[in-house]
Amino acid sequence: MATRFRGVMQSPVTPLNDDFSLDLATFERVLDFHVRTGATAISWPHHKGESLNLTIAERKLFAEAAVKVVAGRIPVTIHVSALALEDTMELARHAQAIGADGVLAITPYFWTPSPEAIHAYFVRLCGAIDLPVLSYNSPSYLAGVEITGDLMSRLIQRLPNFAGVKEASFNSEKFLEIARAALPLRPDFALLTGVEFLLPSVPLGGVGSYSAAGSICPNLCQDLFDACMEGDWPRARTLQAKMTRLWLLFRDQYPSSLKGGMVIMGRPVGPTRPPLPTASKERQAYIRSELEALGILDTEPHGW
Amino acid sequence: MSAFQPGLVHTPVTPFTGDHGIDFYRLGQVIDFHRRHGADALALPMHAGESVSLSEDEKRSVLAFAIANAPDIPVIAHVSNAGSAIAAALARDAERAGAAAVVATTPYYWTPPPAMLLEHFSAIGSAVTIPLLIYNSPDEMAGTKLTTDLALKLIERLPNFAGIVDLSLDWQFMIELMTEAPRVRKNFLLLAGTEHLVSAGAIGARGLFSPLAAIAPHLVRRLYDLCREEKFFDARPAQDEIAALRQFLKADGPAGLKAALRAMGRDCGEPRPPLLPLAASVQARLADALSGLPALRHEPRGW
Repeated sequence: MATRFRGVMQSPVTPLNDDFSLDLATFERVLDFHVRTGATAISWPHHKGESLNLTIAERKLFAEAAVKVVAGRIPVTIHVSALALEDTMELARHAQAIGADGVLAITPYFWTPSPEAIHAYFVRLCGAIDLPVLSYNSPSYLAGVEITGDLMSRLIQRLPNFAGVKEASFNSEKFLEIARAALPLRPDFALLTGVEFLLPSVPLGGVGSYSAAGSICPNLCQDLFDACMEGDWPRARTLQAKMTRLWLLFRDQYPSSLKGGMVIMGRPVGPTRPPLPTASKERQAYIRSELEALGILDTEPHGW
Repeated sequence: MSAFQPGLVHTPVTPFTGDHGIDFYRLGQVIDFHRRHGADALALPMHAGESVSLSEDEKRSVLAFAIANAPDIPVIAHVSNAGSAIAAALARDAERAGAAAVVATTPYYWTPPPAMLLEHFSAIGSAVTIPLLIYNSPDEMAGTKLTTDLALKLIERLPNFAGIVDLSLDWQFMIELMTEAPRVRKNFLLLAGTEHLVSAGAIGARGLFSPLAAIAPHLVRRLYDLCREEKFFDARPAQDEIAALRQFLKADGPAGLKAALRAMGRDCGEPRPPLLPLAASVQARLADALSGLPALRHEPRGW
């Protein structure tokens, strides 16, 4: 059976009021926008959703809202990574209690854990809930800490609910190492990448990605995924090039640039919590000129 | 400059005698083997050929020998050095000797910032009229790497800057490069610097520098041909097999490559100091592992 976690999955930003408090009404609009514009799943709160700048109570509140608004139309996973693993465990149990479809968890922050410590962490997390657990591999943000192919094999063999990976090395060799370790053991393993890097990952067994720019350009996300799955490589190259230019635009001051871009697209979601900056008027004007140059304003939905 | 398309480029080892001299008899056999087993071009002496352990004169001799012994295919000269003037002189001599192109890494040891890289590559590129390829290998160079911005500046400066041989395997860099560079230089080339060709090929790589072609030339050729035909889904089994082979050999560098060559019946001696040969017991284990590898079942044994 194919995994439910495939295609271009959207991880909504977290809308905030001007005083930086959570803006629930706008969050509900963001969720509904993603579902209506082709998201194959919702996952919240990724780093792009400012996960680490939210309190655990806030994360629970919006997790409940996500499950309620999406209402079974597509799967909802909850990103449970937190600085303290005790918080992660709490968020994971909460996700299960509110009816989420899975959780996503990165290798532990800050401590540069050994492979054995990473193994123990996923054993504990997967044992605490029955939901599918998607792992998250991001060595370039975590001082080289990664889930190697060997570790992936051990986790899959041991844990029936170790269901996939968001592989964010963006490196041919590392992605293939994980594909070779995982797919023979668990053919429905959800081998996913981040930032819509679909062109280089789909031919290696990737089945989808999380999205950086989906709140700006859902149509482009869908077209790129289709072109890759159909093996239409010339078209996929053109679309991936466009997607990568958007990533270069938003990567700078991510995710505040993304929130700035959403203003241009008629979907304002408020400021970004410090220490992250909020996109200034000048920055927004620059983003507008780039989106215009890429033709995004003509091909993507405006407003909610 | 007309389009330079080196295709599948084999990167031969440098065989040594028992007293660490270059074994030119064996080198002749090596070059002949590559010519008969699918090389569209040769590049030497690359790191797989222990370039860093050869004297400048030896590099010139190896190049001249290869050009004389492979008159039917292009030979690309590896001219990397720490000093810009030394690398430029090697490049100039390579052109004179009949090399089809030169290839150079970022300078050894200095971990230079982009402004220095621009000057270094400008010095090499402007010393020759044949194409210059730049070898981007951040893992081997303490993190020093090419950026798309630097590539664009080099295109502006050097009419003969033809492309990048990539070992970074970095999707973002490759996509960005192949989005920007071909706009200003139509036939700008991305070549994969290792046998990880599927992702690079999907992004737009049109060539491959392959050290493992010395061990598994048929498999490498199959991978290359499938990728050139854009059959990336069909290429995955070959890509998986080569990744398995690479995993066995990667950590040991040229010593592993030479041990594998011995196991395949093509003894090229041991690596030069400071590299150490693999211990006999490790060589035996490697030979054992390789004999069980399905990827090598149909590969040539002996010369």
